[in-house]
Amino acid sequence: MSKTVGIPKGLLYYDFYPMWKTFFEGVGAKVVVSQDTNKKILDEGVKNCVEDACLPVKTYVGHVINLKEKDVDYIFIPRIVSVERKKYLCSKFLGLPDFIKSLIGDLPPIIDIEINYYKNNDEFTQNEFIKVGRMFGKTKDQSLKAYFEATHQQKKFESLLKEGLTNLEALKVWEGKNLVKEESNYDLKIAVIAHPYDIMDEYISMGIIEKLKNMGAQVYTMEMLQKDLILEGASMLSKEMFWNYERDILGAGLYFLKQKNVDGVIMVSAFGCGPNSMTEELLERIFKREKEVPFMLITIDEHSGEAGIMTRLEAFTDLLRFNKKAVMV
Amino acid sequence: MKITYPHMGSLNMILKTMFEGIGVEVIDPPPSTNKTLTLGVRNSHEFACLPFKINVGNFIEALDRGADTIIMLGGIGPCRFGYYGQVQREILKDLGYDFKMIIVDPPHGRLIDFLKELASYFPNVDGKTALKSFVFAVKKMIAADKLEKFLLKYRAHEDKPGVTTKIYEEYMKKLEKAQNGKEVDKIVSEAMKKIKENANVRRKIQLKVALVGEIYMLLEPFTNMDISKSLNELGVEVTKTEYLSDYLINSAFKLPQRMEFKKNARGYLERDIGGHGLNTVANTVKYAKLNYDGVIHILPFTCTPEIVAQGIIAKISRDYNIPVMSLVYDENTGQAGYQTRLEAFVDLLYRKRMEVIC
Repeated sequence: MSKTVGIPKGLLYYDFYPMWKTFFEGVGAKVVVSQDTNKKILDEGVKNCVEDACLPVKTYVGHVINLKEKDVDYIFIPRIVSVERKKYLCSKFLGLPDFIKSLIGDLPPIIDIEINYYKNNDEFTQNEFIKVGRMFGKTKDQSLKAYFEATHQQKKFESLLKEGLTNLEALKVWEGKNLVKEESNYDLKIAVIAHPYDIMDEYISMGIIEKLKNMGAQVYTMEMLQKDLILEGASMLSKEMFWNYERDILGAGLYFLKQKNVDGVIMVSAFGCGPNSMTEELLERIFKREKEVPFMLITIDEHSGEAGIMTRLEAFTDLLRFNKKAVMV
Repeated sequence: MKITYPHMGSLNMILKTMFEGIGVEVIDPPPSTNKTLTLGVRNSHEFACLPFKINVGNFIEALDRGADTIIMLGGIGPCRFGYYGQVQREILKDLGYDFKMIIVDPPHGRLIDFLKELASYFPNVDGKTALKSFVFAVKKMIAADKLEKFLLKYRAHEDKPGVTTKIYEEYMKKLEKAQNGKEVDKIVSEAMKKIKENANVRRKIQLKVALVGEIYMLLEPFTNMDISKSLNELGVEVTKTEYLSDYLINSAFKLPQRMEFKKNARGYLERDIGGHGLNTVANTVKYAKLNYDGVIHILPFTCTPEIVAQGIIAKISRDYNIPVMSLVYDENTGQAGYQTRLEAFVDLLYRKRMEVIC
């Protein structure tokens, strides 16, 4: 019987799931994903995590516990240090497997390979994946074949993002499901800038994206932008950020500000997010100075009431519409 | 050019010595107070960490006193400290200050690169004078740290409460004014002698606690509400795990200590995660093995590397059966609450030792 590998539905799941799933299936494992975030998962996460950790990490802990209850043979918690040359990820990713192992007892074996492009080329990552292949009794060549198929699928997924799908929609399409046809009578364009793990989890973000769509706004995320556009935005700063996702946030924000191709920008971040305390501060200041594009910050945490978010989104969209009318008159 | 810089432990003394040695005018930021903190908090992002906010407060107060150039360290991550200068510059710009900010970005985090980079901003200073004043500044720093290590041990035994602190403060002032190496040595040995003379209390159970955590919080008595003094006054010998001089020596000869950290942390944390996360984990293991009675972990609110470390050292605490307490500091921290927690922790340590004896 084939072994099962659990993948927690949190953090970088929304960015790399196609690659991980394809690889594990390629080496003959069965992939089990934790449930969508629900109250129980979040509660378990909050209970078992360090109090000051950010919301996505707490949720992730809940997902790992969910997988543990599902009796999987392995849980995949990679140590993702860097996905781009000379750029890091937030500290929590660097110590994630160690952190999770300390928090939760009696876990099944953890697959904690290191993804690190900081100084290494692709060969380093290939070797890490070959190590995983060996755990499932695969030879080097078999693992490499699975790895290349995985990167191919990942590219396919990423091109879906560039077509204007959000990560969630792109995951659905990639898995071969049909998207619900949307009415396309949007009268507003809003950019939502955030880490995918903050806005793609519909439970913890309380469906901000869906809510905006229902209010008649077409939503753009930073994943939809081509990389050169993000870099163009980021080049307006005197020093480029050393975290690649935060660089993207700043770059996307500044790009939208410069092009003025959206009516408003909303930045969403989790309570206590360290890196975003820098990016928010900079973006908010620059947007305020320019006074060209309205900008709103939303902070989510485990207590956020849905009504509060709703009110703020409604107020923001009203303001944008009011702005537009004022220009027409 | 009137230079200023943020406070960080004995850093201001060292920088002052160095810059005055090469003939640059220095404006010290006033000592950090609640006013500094208020200024910083008002102008920073709510989730920026406490060191960031105090830096901002220091800068505002120094600029108000006439400084026109700020020196700040940069970095390449993954700790957000590397981006502080960039954000702080924008904050101060929005406040309407006219100033120049020099952010020294050491490409590989090595001391020599830092000095080279810094020197490029002062083309008129000749290398020899600069090096001489730097060496003297480092000597002072090592002396100050040596004195503090001594203080943290002997203040737990002082005869009259407060007497040791008074001696220490008096000699630190003298140290600041010292003009040459001989004077520095004399001041340190005199101070140590005096502190020792006034420390004669002996206890049946002598507790020892290690302070681990984020370096700024450990170095700045204002931000940690002088936790080592509170512990000393409860009769506990304290070992602080981070000193500027250690840091400097480590960045000059980086490898050996990093290897030691990695070795100690093995099995708990397998790599450097930025900031001082690895140090915290490694030091907790180290002092648990040295049979210390307890470990206190101090960190600023929202510090990601330390939060990861906090989760991990809870496990070390269970594995080694050593009490560990994490104290998170932010701008709302009330001193009384922390004093209570410290007293309770120390009581617990006493009880643990008593059980062993009985």
